[in-house]
Formats: sequence, structure tokens, C-alpha cells
Amino acid sequence: MVPSRASVKAKGMDELLQEFIAETQETLEALAGEVVAWEADPGDRDRLDAIFRFFHTVKGSCGFLNLPRFERLSHAAEDVLSEIRAGNRTADPATVSAVLGIMDRIAELAEAVAIGAALPDENDDYLIGALAEREQGAATEELAPTVEPIRQGGAQAVPRTIRLPLSLIDQLMNGVSDMVLARNELSRKLRERTSDPELESVFERLSTCVADMRDSISKTRMQRVERLFTAIPRMVRDLGRELGKRIDLVLEGGDVEMDREMVEMVVDPLTHIVRNSIDHGIETPEQRRALGKPEAGTLKVQARQSGNQIVIEVSDDGQGIDTARLVEKSIASGKLTREAAAKMSESEKLELIFQAGLSTAQQVTAISGRGVGMDVVRANVERIGGVIALHNQIGRGLRIALRVPLTLTIIPGLIIRSGGLHFAIPRAAVVEILHDNNETLHIAEVGGAKIATIRTVRHSMIDLEDVLGMEKVVQPGPRAIMVVRSATGVPFALGVAAVDNHEELVIRPASPLIMATGVYAGMTLPDNGKPMLLLDAAGLANAARLPNIVDERSIDQLEDSGDGEARVEMVSALRFEELSGERRLIKLSLVERVEDVDATLFGRSGGNAFVRLDGRLVPVANGAHSFATGHVSALRLRDGSQEACYPVAAVLDIVEMPAVPDMVAMQGALSGVAVVDGEHLEVLNPFALFASLPGGPIVERRRGRCVLADSEDGWTREILAPLLRQAGHDVLLGLPQDEAVDPADVVLSSGGDISQAAEILGCRIVQLRASPRPTGPEDGSIYRYDQDALMAAISGTRR
Amino acid sequence: MEQLYLLATLADTRVAVAAHEVEAVVKLADISPVPGMLRHVAGLSALRSRVLTIIDVPALIHGAPTPADRRGLAIIADISGHSYGLMVDAVHDICEVPEGDLPLRGQLDRAWAPHARAIVEQDGHPHLLVSLASFIETGLLAQAA
Repeated sequence: MVPSRASVKAKGMDELLQEFIAETQETLEALAGEVVAWEADPGDRDRLDAIFRFFHTVKGSCGFLNLPRFERLSHAAEDVLSEIRAGNRTADPATVSAVLGIMDRIAELAEAVAIGAALPDENDDYLIGALAEREQGAATEELAPTVEPIRQGGAQAVPRTIRLPLSLIDQLMNGVSDMVLARNELSRKLRERTSDPELESVFERLSTCVADMRDSISKTRMQRVERLFTAIPRMVRDLGRELGKRIDLVLEGGDVEMDREMVEMVVDPLTHIVRNSIDHGIETPEQRRALGKPEAGTLKVQARQSGNQIVIEVSDDGQGIDTARLVEKSIASGKLTREAAAKMSESEKLELIFQAGLSTAQQVTAISGRGVGMDVVRANVERIGGVIALHNQIGRGLRIALRVPLTLTIIPGLIIRSGGLHFAIPRAAVVEILHDNNETLHIAEVGGAKIATIRTVRHSMIDLEDVLGMEKVVQPGPRAIMVVRSATGVPFALGVAAVDNHEELVIRPASPLIMATGVYAGMTLPDNGKPMLLLDAAGLANAARLPNIVDERSIDQLEDSGDGEARVEMVSALRFEELSGERRLIKLSLVERVEDVDATLFGRSGGNAFVRLDGRLVPVANGAHSFATGHVSALRLRDGSQEACYPVAAVLDIVEMPAVPDMVAMQGALSGVAVVDGEHLEVLNPFALFASLPGGPIVERRRGRCVLADSEDGWTREILAPLLRQAGHDVLLGLPQDEAVDPADVVLSSGGDISQAAEILGCRIVQLRASPRPTGPEDGSIYRYDQDALMAAISGTRR
Repeated sequence: MEQLYLLATLADTRVAVAAHEVEAVVKLADISPVPGMLRHVAGLSALRSRVLTIIDVPALIHGAPTPADRRGLAIIADISGHSYGLMVDAVHDICEVPEGDLPLRGQLDRAWAPHARAIVEQDGHPHLLVSLASFIETGLLAQAA
């Protein structure tokens, strides 16, 4: 029976179908060799698994694409292979050739669908019969597939689009990169010449054009997550019917965008998860009624962007994963001993779901439950740099969160300096950065091995220069020690000369010669035109032959003691969702209270947003002033004297975050990124937050002026003065010549000679220095980039 | 058989490269070293937005890396999807050689054995016909060993 092409013509389905065909053909090609090898050695478990997974994937995908012939064929083959896997049947030559026959038929069908020809109308029963020779009668009965009605495309106008080959977009991308490099070179050349304002303004215009172009071209690679969602409603409906379950489907966040390649990589895992949820998670209406739950289960698929990641959450209100049964199954299959099981924590037990060949399904069904699925899902997600997290509540539901990077090719990275060269390392791999003069760090050396003890946890330590065979350059400042964790390995400490910067990096593959070293993961070409290598954290650990041992003892101690030394470094933070949807953290001590504020109380004046609270006007820190809802959750913040209101979309919970964020940003509204429960969250910078509040009428405090003594100094004029102005101070460049210095004024000076003069004038001074470290114990000056100390000194001296 | 060859001097030896293997010949700009590599991988160099892996061919043949001040020209080639620059001493000519490849004769230096495939004669001088891909492949083998 030939499925009507019309049934899959609904928008999006055609594309999915093409992808399915392309993918199937690709896999078949790759498997061709495997099957031959399997025929030669039918005992080969890995090959069997690979072939089995192929059929499982085909079955899963074609179920909702409405390709019943594919489904029947692959289901039959999967049944047989599953029996072989279970040891109930041996892979005798007849079976192998029957499986091969089915693979050939699938290839023929795929070919036919790809070129749009009529599917060869041969009898599949013969092939399936050949498979089922030993269990007569099974899987031979043919049912006419139900042809689904055509889904209407919807009445709204569809934006006009064209299809482009990806290679063309890559070509464009390369072209723009060339343009950026050429522009940079031109800019260098221009700077060497005498300045010509006219030329410069033309050049500026060109620069803007190039930058805009680069942005739009990177956007061409982005695609709405909606595409991932198109197939889900149909799948849910069909599966629900088949299993006699009632399911309410909620889809959210379809307008989030991610790299199209990434979308393709996520389709499979997501499909598996949704199928699992319906099949094993949500109970039948009768069961649900007995449990006091609403008859219809709820399945929620949400997508949202969180920093540089896309989070896709699938949650259901079904029965969750029964970890006890998981453990039993695992023990029964010989993968786990009873002793080991007894020691396992709940989360470790839950991890068992990712073991190959393990399933909690009571019985094998056509939908899922053969134990493929979660292991394959995790492998697929991790291959694209993603993470999968389970949140299990037995009897109440399961939430699975897939966290994948926005794109395959652009990753946030840290630029590090070592041995006079620059390298990049993925930001996700870096847990913590310390300077080697940090008090919480102790480095010991024994027999050539270096051990870094950070707080109480011991890490193997390597210096990047040693691993790569570079010369260690003597440097005046402290070296940076990074705690690096790869996806698989144990964290280790990596010593480098300095961590310079963090940047979004466009990663491209390096040549095999370079990849063969194992320590590099790729390369990138920054705007300065000097190629840079991306380090592979796991590769470095391998190259240095670091032992793969966690410092369990001290971690246990940490867990036991509860108020151990490490806790000192943690502070409570409020996790909340911004109006724009990002999840962020703010130090809890700044939050006075959280309250619902009537949206009409918000207003705007003179470019600043205010809210009327308790009869006063309070500035709104994030400038929001109009809201869709009648009431708005707002954080009331206070820095001691000033108060501010910060409207948010939702307050989530209170968590512990490191006092110093894992990634520190020196400037801007965010002070860095902290990792909480595996989620990268941006931390609001309270300093910038309060600094950005409008001065004006609502600030009644009398402020002294900031007198900048070194008015000729470029740093003072270009960096310090704007910073102070931004923070709401009156700034006076140069010591006043003809007017008296007010005692409330503060004099800031980078030179040493001013101090006496200022003291005579009767006001306080703040001495700044250019080096991060004080020259001696008496040195009362402040490092000029230490914003907090600087601001504290200015306000402190005034009081 | 008439064929187009690029004639060059490579590690003090006259060589010929089939022109279809050659994408371009460029003057080498900055090379960023790649630590942890064998000596014959000189580093990475950017050619517009492409990143080339620069192979120090003399180092592969003689075992001694070319000093930075003697790095001049490189032949750019695309080998199995990656861009390489192969350092050469000098490039002389691109010309058609009417008689084409001649079989190798004489006792070939062991270092050249994996690379030379034939002899190409031009103006009475024999040139070793080398395949650019062989320099990459032997490099990979050496690394694996």
C-alpha cells in the first residue's frame, strides 16, 4: 500500500520527510559495511546494536510521517533483532539475510520517495514472512493504513521564503569574514596616516555596513524552534489514540531561534523523549482517575533561550520513573551488584535510565520500551555539546530538560595566554578561574606532580606550557589557574599565563594533522587575522596522563560538614526570570522584598522609568514601564540608602551561588555568569544596577563633586570621568583654580604629589594606582580598575 | 602525454607538481606556531578568511626546521577538504612538458622515496614529480608512530 503523498503535504512535513529520507539513506550507506561484518560475526554486539538502532529510528520517524510500509518493515526487523539481543534467538544466516532484505527494501522505498516516484508495489509480506519464519503467523497480517486527512495550512499569510543550499550560506559567511579582515587592515592603514575626517566618516559607514551584514548573515543560519514542534501534535494525537490515552499538549516558545543544523540534531532526541512520555509516563484515563488525577494527562514542550543555550523541556504529569524498578532491572541484567545499588543515591539510580538496553517498560510496545531511547538520546545530545537533565517525581511526573548550544559553530570561549601564544578554550569547560596568589589556593609539588588544593578540594594540576612543550615566560603578575572540566573527565587545574578575554568564537575544524595531537578541538580566526587554536580539555588531561580520580574524600567532607570552608564562598541568590525571558541571579541581600505591583503605578518621565510606591517615586532599575498584565512581580532592591524597583516576569527560587561568579565580567549590567545546578545564569551587577539609576529629583542626598586632579591624563578623562558621571557624581576636571574646594568634595588623583595639597584644602582624597597590587602594606591607594573599591572610597570618604 | 607542471625548488631539490594539485602560490605572512606538533608543522597562517596549515617541507625531508627568516613562498593546496600551505624555496615556472612523466631512475634518497612518483624533464634538467598529498599523509603517519 502506498501512502498518499498528500497526507504529508502539510507545511513542514514535506521538509521533514525529505530530511528523513536523506538521513535514512545516509545511515544505510554507513551501515552497509557493518551489516556485512555482522554477517561474518553474528556475535558482534556493537554491530547488532547499531543495526537495531537504525530500525528503531526509522520506525520512530516514519510513524508520524505516515509511511506505514517503512514502519511495518522496520518494526518487523526490530522485533527480530530485539529477540537476538535478548538472547532468545540466534543470528542464523537466514535471519541475517532476511534483515538484509528488509534493509534493501527500505533503501528502495527511500529512493522512490526521494525522487517522487511511485513506490515499487511489491509484496512486503514476503520479506516480513522470511523474518518471522520461526514464529509463524506473527506480523504477517496486513492492515490497510489509514490515510490521514490533509492538515490545513492555516489562514494566516505565510512569509515568503526561498530555499538555499547551506553551502551558499557558508560561502557568504566566508565572504563576510574576508570583508571584516580587509576592513581591519584598512583601518590599521588609515590610522598610520594623518587623519582626514571625511575619509574617516566614510570608513565608519563602511564598517557599520560590514557589521550589519555579518549580523544578518549569521541570522540566515537561524531557524525558529517551531520547526521542531510541527510534528509533535500529530504524533501525540496518533499515539494517544493508539494507546487509549488522553493528552493535552502544550507547546511553548516556538519563536525561539537556533542554528538550523542544531534543529536537525535535536529532532531525534526530542521525538524519543515525547514518545517515551506518552508511552510510559502518562497513565491511561482509568489509572489516572483511580489516582485522583485529571483524566487527561498534560504534556508540555517548552523552548527558551538561556544565555547561549537553548533549553527544551518536556514535562508530563504522569507516573515518573520508578527508580526502584530501574535498579531491579539493572541488577537482573547483571549490570549492577546489589551492594553497589545499596550505596547509590536517588540521582545515581535515576542515571541508570541512560544505560544501554535498560527500560522500565513492563512490556514491549510498538511505540517504545525496548531500552533504546535514553542512552541514544543522551549520546546524541552530548555529541552536539548539550546536556540532558532529569527531574523525576515518582507518581507525579517527569521533566526532561535538553540544553543545547545555540549553534554548532559559534561558542562562547575564553582567550588565554600561555608561552607567548594565545589559545581559546570553551567557556563551558571552565569551572573557576583563580590567580595563583589567591589564598584559597595551595599548590604543592611532589615527584614532578603538581597538586592544586582549592579550598579543600585537591585537583591534579598541569601547566599548559608543560603539556604543549612551550617555554614558560617569566612574567611580573600572578599566573591564572583555571579549574577545567571536560564533558566526561574529572576537573583538573590548568595553569596559564593569563586569561585575557571572553569572546564568541566561530569555530572551524582544524586539519587532521593538528587534530591528531588530541589536544586541540578546532581553530578560530579572530578579527586580528591571527589564527588561534581551541583547546580540548579532555585531550589536555589525556596528553598529560592525569589520573582520572575525583577527590572524593574532601567532596564527601564538604557534603557532610555542611558549613565547611567552601560554604564561606557561597552566597544566597534569588533566581528570577527577566521580562525578556532570560533567567538571572541577583544577590539575595540586595532584595528587600518581592511584591506584586499594580502595573498602572509604573510611569515614565524624562527618559527614566519610575514607579509610585508608598507615596514616593522609586526608580525602575531595568527601565521597564509598560506591561501586558495588570500586576507585575517586582523586586524591591536597596543598597542601604538608595532603593530601586526591578520588575521581573517571575521569581523562581532561592539558590546558593558562588560569591565570585564563575565567569567575571568587569563592566556592564552583569557581573558575570554563575553555574547553578548545571545551568549557566547571568548574575546582575548591583554596582552597575544602582549606578545606572537616574540621579535627578528623586535623589535628595547632597552629593559632593569628584575633583579629578590629573585632568591632562587620558585615562582620567576618557575612562574615569565618564564612569563617575554615569554613577551620578558631578565631575570637575582639574583642581579648581578660583573657587574654594568644598569639604564634601573628593579629589581623585593618580599622581603622588597631590595628597598634601588636598589635605590643606580640607577635603579627602582617593589615591589611584595603575598596578593591581599595592606596593607595600602602607599603600592606601586603590587599583584604578577596582570599581567597587573605588566607589566605596568615594562614598565612604564623603560621609 | 602533454601536461602542465609547476616547477619549483623544494628542500634544495628540483621538483615538479602537477598543476591541477596547486591552488595558488603565495608569499607567507605571519605564521602562528602550533605547540605540541612535530617539527614539520610550522603552524597556522591566515589567507584572507581561510586558515592554512603550513607544512615545513624541508623539515620533513632534512629533519631540520626552516628558520623563520628563510620562510618565503608556499604552495596552497586543498587536500581532502582542508587548506594547506607547503613551504618551498623557490618557484620557477609553470609549463607544459611535452613528454610528460618519465619513470624514476637511479637510487633515490630515502627521504624522497614516499613523495616522488616520476621524473619530469625540462630544459635537460630532471625534476622529481611529487604529490602534495603525500607530504600530508607521511606527516600523519610520522605522528601516529
